[in-house]
Amino acid sequence: MQTFNQLRTLTGRIIRQNLTNADTIITVIAMPVFMLLFFVYVMGGNIATTGAGGAQAYLRYALPGFLLLTMAMGSAYTSMRINLDRTSGFLDRLHSLPIARWVILGSHVLASVTFMLMAEALVFLVGVLIGYRADVTLSSALLFVGLSVLFGLGITLLAIPFSLKADNYASAGGFSYVLLMLLFVSSALMPTTGMAKPVQMFADHQPMTPIVNTARGLLNQAVAVSQHTEWLAVGWLVGAIVVCGFLSYRVYVRMFLTR
Amino acid sequence: MKAIVVKGVTKDFGALPVLKGVNLEVEQGEIFTLLGANGAGKSTLINILTTLSQPTAGTVAIMGLDPRTAGNQVRRLMSLNAQATTLDGEFTGAENLSLIARLRGVKDVPAEINGLAQRLDLTSFLNRKVKTYSGGMRRRLDLAMSLLGNPQLIFLDEPTTGVDPQNRLALWQMIRELRDAGKTVFLTTQYLDEADALSDHIAFIHDGVIVKSGTPAAIKQRVTATYTLQVAPADEAVATATLGAAGIAFAPTEHGLSLTAKQAEPALTALLDAGVTVTHYDQDETDLESVFLNVTKEAAHANL
Ligand SMILES: Nc1ncnc2c1ncn2[C@@H]1O[C@H](COP(=O)(O)OP(=O)(O)O)[C@@H](O)[C@H]1O
Ligand SMILES: [Mg+2]
Repeated sequence: MQTFNQLRTLTGRIIRQNLTNADTIITVIAMPVFMLLFFVYVMGGNIATTGAGGAQAYLRYALPGFLLLTMAMGSAYTSMRINLDRTSGFLDRLHSLPIARWVILGSHVLASVTFMLMAEALVFLVGVLIGYRADVTLSSALLFVGLSVLFGLGITLLAIPFSLKADNYASAGGFSYVLLMLLFVSSALMPTTGMAKPVQMFADHQPMTPIVNTARGLLNQAVAVSQHTEWLAVGWLVGAIVVCGFLSYRVYVRMFLTR
Repeated sequence: MKAIVVKGVTKDFGALPVLKGVNLEVEQGEIFTLLGANGAGKSTLINILTTLSQPTAGTVAIMGLDPRTAGNQVRRLMSLNAQATTLDGEFTGAENLSLIARLRGVKDVPAEINGLAQRLDLTSFLNRKVKTYSGGMRRRLDLAMSLLGNPQLIFLDEPTTGVDPQNRLALWQMIRELRDAGKTVFLTTQYLDEADALSDHIAFIHDGVIVKSGTPAAIKQRVTATYTLQVAPADEAVATATLGAAGIAFAPTEHGLSLTAKQAEPALTALLDAGVTVTHYDQDETDLESVFLNVTKEAAHANL
């Protein structure tokens, strides 16, 4: 009970920090919304997606990609918050309190995934306001949430080693550019078919493409996604969670539990 | 039962030995001071005692418990005020306090926060964001955070370093009150006068070794520490007269007034009471070194 209260207290603290910090809100919510509007209304009509073409067709194609992009931007703040807690000595204070060790970074993980889901929901809402209509069943909607949780957890765990090792706040978020780059060079914002051949090769075989395609299929029953793609997406995510989880654990233990 | 027992503790950072076999015992309800210069290994030892780090060799018992196997039990009994403040700048002082109080499972959070705020004189700025605080305010808030939840054993790592003379005396008073309330206080400091004024027992650590331990009187026996005190130019005449009237000997130097360790604190108290603005008060730099030389010379004699 005590442990549960501590986890809740610490998680609440980080979510509050995110929600009351203008930088965070601008980067994680306003930026994706701006990009969504820009891509839909300025570029959308010029991007050949499957189907009819035009802004609404583009929105229908790209919104799932923008949702993952939003979560990826959130991972920069996951990393920066953990880094700030380390450099400010706050993690040391927590370690000197009677708190189960797993709760200390566990609260960061929980807060990170929760905040990413909140940001994702907001961007989804903006998508709906400008005309996006999801075509889901109850189970596909739940699976989409599940996929989002796995994605959020994977990139959160990826963020932890960077956040602990980075010298300062500013460089702690740097790794998230790699995530953004991976999303840009994937099927997230436009089909890979029009890309230059070597780029397309890369785009088709990197993890973001099956993940985005699976998300797209879950939000829109009309989009056919092969089972192979779906398993590939889950495989990448579970693999990332296991590998990054192990790495995070090792860095944390070395840095805090056996120093 | 002893509050703390340390036996043969060593700590290496990679190839660098920092603690080289530390032994000490701290009684319950006393102020125990670990006195040593910068880099002597004080924080390293405090980190081991507060479960933040593990010794390379040797054993530690905190109220009879082994921090390695009973970490959370140890952490329930004790509290650490680290050398660097650990505050959340985006939150107010009250929010910082309330966070730690809830984590410690304090029953009546507002009552405890108000009590500590009054004791440490935080009330006037408690609802401001911490990033607007001065260094002294931060230090006091940090200390209040370490006193939440009524810990039995309090570790204070250089609480007065960088604190101005007036606040320093107030902190000393508070540390004494903790002891008088039955707490065990483990203090580290670089200042001989502080160790002398507060401690029931002192251990003098030099380069990872306890070179001398005992009561303040025993430690100070052969020590010739000096202090330099500066006052505002306008107050110089009053200061000289005050010290003269109080029968405190001092030597004027180009940097200010030079005083012996024994007379430093009475002199400071007398001057502050007389309303003199004290602009600087510090132990002269080479002093712990000379304490060390005295102590080792003594040890060398004892070995002959
Ligand atoms: N994590 C660490 N890694 C390597 N060296 C360290 C580490 N922590 C402390 N040291 C070294 O150990 C010595 C003692 O440091 P410390 O315990 O902080 O001294 P004090 O608190 O007495 O000023 C110093 O030389 C310091 O550089
Ligand atoms: Mg130190």
